[in-house]
Parts: sequence; C-alpha cells; structure tokens
Amino acid sequence: MRQWRKVLFIWILFFLLSGCGAHRVKRDLIVLLPDPDGKGGVITVTTQGGSETLDKSGYAIEIKDPNQPPIAPQPIEEKEITGIFGPALSTLPDPASRFVLIILHFERDTTKLTHESKGSLAEILRTIKSRRSNEIYVVGHTDLVGKEAYNAGLSSRRANHVRNLLVSNGIKPNTLFVSFYGKARPLVPTQDEVPEPRNRRVEVIVR
Amino acid sequence: MNGNGLMRLFLFLLMILFSFSITGEATFADTSPTIATVQKVSGMATVVRQGRTISAQIGLELYQNDTLRTGPGGSIGVVFNDDTLLSLGPESMLVIDEFVFAPRQGKFSIAIRMLKGTVAYVSGLISKLAPESAHIETPTASIGIRGTKFVARVEGD
Repeated sequence: MRQWRKVLFIWILFFLLSGCGAHRVKRDLIVLLPDPDGKGGVITVTTQGGSETLDKSGYAIEIKDPNQPPIAPQPIEEKEITGIFGPALSTLPDPASRFVLIILHFERDTTKLTHESKGSLAEILRTIKSRRSNEIYVVGHTDLVGKEAYNAGLSSRRANHVRNLLVSNGIKPNTLFVSFYGKARPLVPTQDEVPEPRNRRVEVIVR
Repeated sequence: MNGNGLMRLFLFLLMILFSFSITGEATFADTSPTIATVQKVSGMATVVRQGRTISAQIGLELYQNDTLRTGPGGSIGVVFNDDTLLSLGPESMLVIDEFVFAPRQGKFSIAIRMLKGTVAYVSGLISKLAPESAHIETPTASIGIRGTKFVARVEGD
C-alpha cells in the first residue's frame, strides 16, 4: 500500500513539473509576416532588459524574461504560425480595398523624375480617378547623401513638384496632403553619404 | 507618527481619486469620434466601453479607450480609420488607448495595449506617414511598428 502511495506521489510530482515546463515554453512571441505592400517592414521589440529588431518575414522574437533583452530573431515554421495564430489571421479584414501606393523616383539631387517614373504619373492619375479619391498623400524623401537640412529642402521640393504636376492635371488641391522627411526615412537602409536611386523618391498614396 | 502615516495614506488615496476623475473627464471629451469599425466577428467577442459590455457585431463603431475581448473560440477583426487592420484570436484582450489620424493637422498616433492572447496586425496609413508613431505595449515589452504585417502572442499574467 505504501509503495502505491509513493508511486502516486511521484506520478503527481512528475505531472506538476511537466506542467510547469510546458508553461515555460509558452512565451510571448512576435512574428514578422510578409508585408502586403511588398515594402519591407521593421519591428522593434523593447523589454526592460534591452531591445531587438525584427526585419525578416518568417522570423520570430521571443521574450523569456522581461528583465532580459528579447531573444534574437529565429526562423519560425509556417505550421507553427498557423497553429498559434490561425484564428486571428483568418479574422483579419480583407486589405483589398485599402490604399494604393505608387513610388516615383528622381534623378540625383534634382526634382526631375526618372524616365520610368514619368510613366507612373499617368497611373497615379488613373488610380485617383477610378477610386474617386479625395485623399491623396504626397510624401517626399531623399537618399543619404548630404546634410539633413539640405535634404529636408530637397524632399520638400520633390513632393511639391509632384503635387503641382497633379494639380496641373486637374486634381483638386484640397485633396492633396504634402509632407516630406529628407533623409530620415530611406526605403533601402544605407550608410550615410551613400547614393541610392531607390531612396530618391516621392511616395504617392491614393486612398 | 501613526496619525501622520494615516494622514499620508488619506492624502494619497485622495490624489488617486482626483487623478481618476481628471482622466475620466479628459477621456469623456475625447471619446466621441469613431476611430475604427468591426468588420469580422466569430464566436464570443465583446467591447467594453466605460464599464459597459457590448456584444461585438459587424459594423459596430469603436472609440478611443475601448477594450476588445474574445472568449474561447471567439475572434474579432477591425479596420481603423487609417486602414490599419487588427484582429484578435480566442481568449484575448486589448485596449485601444489612443488612436489619432488627423492628416490636416499632421497628427498621427496609435497606442494599443495587448493584455493577453493573440493579435494580427497590418499597418495602415499612419505607419506610412509617421512611422515612429505606432506602438503596441504588452505586459513584457513595447513593440514599435514601422509599416508591416505581424502577429504576436501575449501570455498575460
């Protein structure tokens, strides 16, 4: 009889311990997924102990202890993502009716559109008309060559140039929202003073 | 000494009471505009607003300071005014502390507290126009979001 009691005790102890173990495995978890706009997103996870950056889709950051930095990004399997996040993901509203983002590129240190981007202008006008949009954002940027103040000015001139082009093509000025960020928000991160054509841009967002 | 301690405690409680009534007033003034709309619901999902629990239905408008909750097997999907998409899986809870989308004033901000469960998030215009102004707080961490889609699980307490 006593033997049985001992077995029972060990059995309960084992279950308690394994239960604790299972609990410890279920940590806070953040997973980056492919961006529907195709533009690489970035997430920064900060705990009391430090901070980690997540910029690759299909990678996950775990938090083991809030007093420690988050665990560096690790790849995570699709199966695990659907296992944990299936219900949330299937309830995500459909993004089809959201905004359209069109990026115009510029020649270096000018407000001159590149040859390909001149063609995109027509696409922007078509999009505005087909959506009957009255909310259009024109956001200017530069690459990382030159000083901040200078680039703020250049990005402002680029954005206003695009705005004026749209106005001269019949778009109502009160539907256009212009902003600019100089070198602060490169699309492609580079070292300072690196010329990068993809960063010399105006983003037009048509809602 | 003892009386002094009691007095301090009393003052402290009074201060807490005051701060509550002040924030209560401030939020009351701010709650009127709609910031998001419920677009998908399955199973048990509710919105807690100023202490009242409302059953979530498609089309329900959300305000600042609303809390979203789901039961076992429940889920809810909402669209914010800036086209940010957000959904919760089962047994989840989230508070929308702040949502400001005012392009004419150049004001943008998202502050969400994810208390427990699972969340999926696709950023909208705010992350495009003011990338540093979207944040989700969890009990263990602060998540800064720059234009992207992600999911998170929060174990809660």
